[in-house]
Amino acid sequence: MTLVGINVEMVGARAKVSGAVNYIADLEFPGQVYAKALRSPYPYAKLVRIDTSKALALAGVRAVVTRDDLAELNPHFGTGVEDQPVVVIDKARYVGDIIAAVAADSREIADEAVALIEVEYEELPAVTEIFEAAKPGAPLIQEDHVDKIAGGNVHGVYRAASGNIEQGFKESDEVIENTYILPPVQHGHIEPHAVTAFWEPSGKLVVHTPCQTPSPLQEQLAKVFKLPLNRVRVIVPPVGGGYGGKNHARVEPIVALLARKARRPVQWILTRDEVFLTGRRFGALIKIKTGFKHDGRLWARKVEAWYDMGAYALSGPANTKNACIIAGGPYNIPHRDYTTYAVYTNLPPAGPYRGVGASHVCWAYESEMDEIARRVGMDPLELRLKNLLKEGDLFITGEPMISVGISECVRQAAKAVGWRDNEEQAAISAGPFVRGKGLAVAIKSTSTPSTSAASVRLNADGSAILLTSSAEIGQGAHTSLAQIVGDVLGLPLDRVSVTFPDTDVTPYDKSTSSSRTTFHMGRAAQIAAGQIRDQLLQAGAKTLEAHVEDLELKEMRLQVRGVPEKNLTIPQLFRAIYGEPSGSLFGNYTLRTEGGVDSKTGKGKGSSFWFYSAAGAEVEVDVETGKLRMLKVATAVDVGKAIHPRQCDLQNEGSALAGLGSALFEEMCFDNGQPINGSFLDYLLPSMQDHPIEFESLLVETPHPDGPFGAKGMGEAGLPPMAAAIGNAVANALDGARVRDLPLKPDKIIAAIQATKKGSLK
Amino acid sequence: MKIAIITTINGQRQEIQVNGHQTLLEFLRDNLKLKGTVEGCSVGVCGSCTVLIDGKPVSSCLTLASNVEDKHVTTIEGLSQNGDFDPVQQAFLKHQAFQCGFCTTGMIMAVKGLLIAYPHPTEEQARDYLSGNLCRCGTYKEVLAAVKQLSQK
Repeated sequence: MTLVGINVEMVGARAKVSGAVNYIADLEFPGQVYAKALRSPYPYAKLVRIDTSKALALAGVRAVVTRDDLAELNPHFGTGVEDQPVVVIDKARYVGDIIAAVAADSREIADEAVALIEVEYEELPAVTEIFEAAKPGAPLIQEDHVDKIAGGNVHGVYRAASGNIEQGFKESDEVIENTYILPPVQHGHIEPHAVTAFWEPSGKLVVHTPCQTPSPLQEQLAKVFKLPLNRVRVIVPPVGGGYGGKNHARVEPIVALLARKARRPVQWILTRDEVFLTGRRFGALIKIKTGFKHDGRLWARKVEAWYDMGAYALSGPANTKNACIIAGGPYNIPHRDYTTYAVYTNLPPAGPYRGVGASHVCWAYESEMDEIARRVGMDPLELRLKNLLKEGDLFITGEPMISVGISECVRQAAKAVGWRDNEEQAAISAGPFVRGKGLAVAIKSTSTPSTSAASVRLNADGSAILLTSSAEIGQGAHTSLAQIVGDVLGLPLDRVSVTFPDTDVTPYDKSTSSSRTTFHMGRAAQIAAGQIRDQLLQAGAKTLEAHVEDLELKEMRLQVRGVPEKNLTIPQLFRAIYGEPSGSLFGNYTLRTEGGVDSKTGKGKGSSFWFYSAAGAEVEVDVETGKLRMLKVATAVDVGKAIHPRQCDLQNEGSALAGLGSALFEEMCFDNGQPINGSFLDYLLPSMQDHPIEFESLLVETPHPDGPFGAKGMGEAGLPPMAAAIGNAVANALDGARVRDLPLKPDKIIAAIQATKKGSLK
Repeated sequence: MKIAIITTINGQRQEIQVNGHQTLLEFLRDNLKLKGTVEGCSVGVCGSCTVLIDGKPVSSCLTLASNVEDKHVTTIEGLSQNGDFDPVQQAFLKHQAFQCGFCTTGMIMAVKGLLIAYPHPTEEQARDYLSGNLCRCGTYKEVLAAVKQLSQK
């Protein structure tokens, strides 16, 4: 290996530092017009009447679309559950639901036209709290998509269990029970959602979009517009950040519809306040009850978690189901009973967000671990090591766990924050400032089963191109994929290029999400490139009169191992195959992983590989103001094999910082469904001032037999444990005072300190 | 209403016609097709539209194009000279101080401004100065490393 494991220059780096990247908003097409939407001002309302005549009469307006334009379409789309209309049909289900959209010659005219649309609504009682929405008898938001047995707005109930939970609690020496809350948060990709769509005269739809799931989006659009897949072309240039916020169809269907009616290319760049209405992380409420032995063994755990999907499901049901099997953490527990609920509310649709599902339950189970450590008088690190999954242990799904580097992750994270450097970890440093340290671990699955196809083409001059629908969203996928292909074919990095997704050209891929690209697309590309290597070896063996197993591809030559003077160049190999040094060699491979779990029992194979990660944090609490300062943060992730160590470090840093933001201050606030902090003026993202004084990324390498060169996915693994590590550090500083609803705002810290003081006076 | 002003953009002194309500960001992107400056929030908070006006970083989304009369505007496209990257761009490359790259051009311009204001900034000064440039990929440590390298020159 000469490329894998090396910090080569990121593919596209020079364009990024020179402003030469063409993001969607930079594209311009002849005759292009601009879209704008009219959005519902109510969280829940019947659409009684809509009159677009004044808007249509405005000069420069090219098209207006409403529910009246859906007749020839499949009007609903979704990611599994098709519950979202292209444009509101009968009811607006959240503040921001799209009532109508306009395409006009300029953005200003589009704005003006939207204001001229007249709408009559009949307001309906809205439900925006998870618990209220889940109650039987609550006003129904999606009548056709609720679980009639569970009642209320519960769409799906997912369960996983082992042992006998009641017996487990009876056998426990002690039982604790608590409730944890996480608010919705924003993805915060700095590039807004943006789409340009047009129809070719042949009736083919072309959509340029920064989508993380080009192939499924192609399928979604094909279904809405009743077209075969070859008449929908989805093109994805470099994406300005996604984090799950750009998975699957968002506004692509309505832009395509506008473009068809306007007969022109339509560009829609969402404003930031619209981005806030287009996606978010689930809010969640988690009840967790744990029984344990005095020696620290976890004995029984019951978890019930409600995930707030908002008005439309997106991938919420799958995400909530995946959260179920990991609801109690990466621990060996004899008796377990986990249930998760996917619930509709009258809030903007929630979807996957970096660490999807895992971050929520981790906040609960890892906070509880430190509570248990206090009860049994054990060091929190020792308590975790005692209970963590080891190689070969059976998970709640019934599958044996392999490539389990989690103990090493937490050991390294602990070491990085100076765990037990001194016995008095909660010593007052100066005046009102108290310091504390905390740890947390996390487990997460990747999308399973799933499919990734790769196609590699070798040119006769010894340069190769990988055709892939994996999007480059900043994670460096195109670099690591090029490294993999380069090493298989013995090519330097500048002889390998990677296409951006273009569904006319690039084969199917499930998604650039779930941190699945290196493992799935990387493996598919490795095998596809291997097919070309095999063809070269076969051709070379004949010419060089050598055995295939004695040959190696190295530095653009095929040579006999140990006899470098016996070699052939790639053009010579092409001559051997085709009679002339030209032509193309192909390698194609579709990787399909097996697995999936039963919704009612949780049994099966939960993940094609598992994410194992840990976080350590040292914080300083101002006990007078409740303000926190992050002194040191460490993120440790078991990456299997780091294809590009620096990019792994950068992914860890991004995960840590997003986790830190959601721990300390990020929170989307609503007042009866009305967003009250839906812009970057009011919603804080971590800035350089919030970055910990010290940050350390730690890469543990426990190879996975199915990953390319042993690699596993890692991009989002660092996020889930971060909030709990910080919460545990705060509780450590404050002698056990604990906040259980995120974010850890100063007023909550002060309240927790006061509550602990009162408790200790008793 | 069109307003004619004289201004210098990336070293080129020129007369430009701008709309009264047009922001500098819109003018750069729509009229001059300088697409390296990008829009993230349109309220001057994220910093991704940062350009230099007379050496000082500003949010071009909050600056009216008509306000740059007789000023020197520098965008990311104006940084590299004769095809060579500016030292800030080189330092960003060396430290891979970016991931998705969307905030990167604004971040580079802000670092440029920082080093004009403070040629040898402390880490605290750098964090304070650059806190108006948000990077959701979280690549702050590498930006600070790039600044540190540049401040030692």
